[in-house]
Amino acid sequence: MVLKHLSELKDILVDKPTRRLVLAAAQDQTSLTSVISAARDGYIEPILVGDKEAIQNIASENNLDISGVRMIHEPDTEVAVEIAVKMVRSNQADILMKGKVGTSTLLKAVLNKEWGLRTGTLLSHIAIFEVEAYHKLIAVTDVAMNIAPNLQDKIAIVNNSVACLNRLGVELPKVAVLGAVEMVSENMQATLDAALLSKMNQRDQIKHCIIDGPLAFDNAISLDSAIHKGIRSDVAGDTDLLLMPDIEVGNVLYKSLVFFAHAKVAAVILGAIVPIVLTSRSDSDQAKYDSILLAAAVTKNA
Amino acid sequence: MITSLKQMADSVRTAGRKYRIAVAWGQDQNTIGSIHRAVNEGFAEAFLIGSVSEIVKVCRETGCDPSLFTVIESDDEKSATETAVSMTAEGEADIVMKGLVGTDKFLRAVMNKENGLLAPGSVMSYVCAIEIPAYRKLLFVTDTAVIPFPDLKQKVAMAEYALTMARRFGIVMPKVALIGASEKVSDHFPNTLDYAEMCRMAEDGRISPCIMDGPLDLFLACDPESVKIKGVTTPVDGDADILLFPSLEACNPFYKSLMLFGKGELAGMIRGTIKPVVLMSRSESELSKYYCVALACLMASENN
Repeated sequence: MVLKHLSELKDILVDKPTRRLVLAAAQDQTSLTSVISAARDGYIEPILVGDKEAIQNIASENNLDISGVRMIHEPDTEVAVEIAVKMVRSNQADILMKGKVGTSTLLKAVLNKEWGLRTGTLLSHIAIFEVEAYHKLIAVTDVAMNIAPNLQDKIAIVNNSVACLNRLGVELPKVAVLGAVEMVSENMQATLDAALLSKMNQRDQIKHCIIDGPLAFDNAISLDSAIHKGIRSDVAGDTDLLLMPDIEVGNVLYKSLVFFAHAKVAAVILGAIVPIVLTSRSDSDQAKYDSILLAAAVTKNA
Repeated sequence: MITSLKQMADSVRTAGRKYRIAVAWGQDQNTIGSIHRAVNEGFAEAFLIGSVSEIVKVCRETGCDPSLFTVIESDDEKSATETAVSMTAEGEADIVMKGLVGTDKFLRAVMNKENGLLAPGSVMSYVCAIEIPAYRKLLFVTDTAVIPFPDLKQKVAMAEYALTMARRFGIVMPKVALIGASEKVSDHFPNTLDYAEMCRMAEDGRISPCIMDGPLDLFLACDPESVKIKGVTTPVDGDADILLFPSLEACNPFYKSLMLFGKGELAGMIRGTIKPVVLMSRSESELSKYYCVALACLMASENN
């Protein structure tokens, strides 16, 4: 299946059971607004954990209808996060979302060895972009979690992302490992890793996808550019997933697509028992809403 | 002040000067096509160095008149490149441009200690002026093509090259954003330590006059709204003229995303050499290629 618009996430969700989303430290205007609107549209069933009075105040100030929404009162942020995580762990929720709490506090709870949400693999961030000039959605990883992933980390990041894309119906995602150049160069570790990942894919050590790299950005997304350069590749010009060399590169590309190419984006954290929605203040309301839908769409056994 | 690439090319075209461009192994459609318009418009005079019979043939295929160019016979790409570079070094040409020769070979000739174009100890880098609908003015971006992982000295040189170019466009006090993943200085990101040092250097006057800040992420560099939302105090204030990137890995996909997804056009060239060096990717648009030639002429005008 080929997806072109993020609105197609709604089509994916039509036949699926409504997912339960727990919002940790729910007294947060921006995340609460997007959660309530996704709930109103029938895509999720919210559970709000946090300071009840503050949540109610925010709801009334912003005309959010939270009547009938399940709420667990816990004014202490850290405890609220623990409750939310434990609800996921005990199968009372299918998606975890960050409210008014620092990312590090939330992740610490997610990674807690006794009651956290680890699955034994690395946590990684995936951002899925809708860009007008590209013929389908394009996923980019990792622009937010892993600072400087080594080869093992990159394998885990690819596996997380490929499983996510598979669940969106992209059966054999084409993965471009990004480099500054398309030649393997011993001076650039990213290009060496790219060559190894490609070969490991050929040998079936990394499955369910087609990996090629290093590819420069233009080769990855434009067949014309690849032809100009004389590159033979099954991925060039038709990339579903772009693997970043490190977070500096990823962050720049993410922001470039959003700011300069007016891309729409949805993003989740993968690698835990359930998808985690971590949005930031600078994300648009649409991006937050779409991220919730993305999380619902990639929830396991859906 | 020059505020668009078209205006930049117009200013070169109407200045009434003709720049002599030596083209190394200039015998393919792509190269001849790139320089053809500049020659036609009268601000460039091209020496195509290569196989005469091949050049004539390619000109015919491209639909341009070979008599527009001065053709200099050469047997192979290596000697053609050496000729083009030494002609430029000796003042017989104002600008050297890469033809069908590989980038590595071409740059090796440019960097040659005996008769190249790079003074000893100079840092060679690449600066692009980019025009994009989503940004209110031209963006000068470095380094899109040459230095993979610049150290502090190289970063300072990159900043100076971009500053010189921005001033040539009439920007008196350019705003320089040193780009990172966030605005925080952290030893997890060694580049941010260089950035902090560079900001001090700019304050002390060890970097030529500019408004410099970093690390800044792209939003804080280019979007005043993000600066407000995040509550960060930065003299660049979401209004950068120059973006300096921590690595080629970050800068290359950035500029390509602007070209392919952001409807951008560019003019770019090598900096650090004693004469302008034109080097561009075959996959740039026709218009961008023309702008690259015009930019080299603009920057050549300061050499005399």
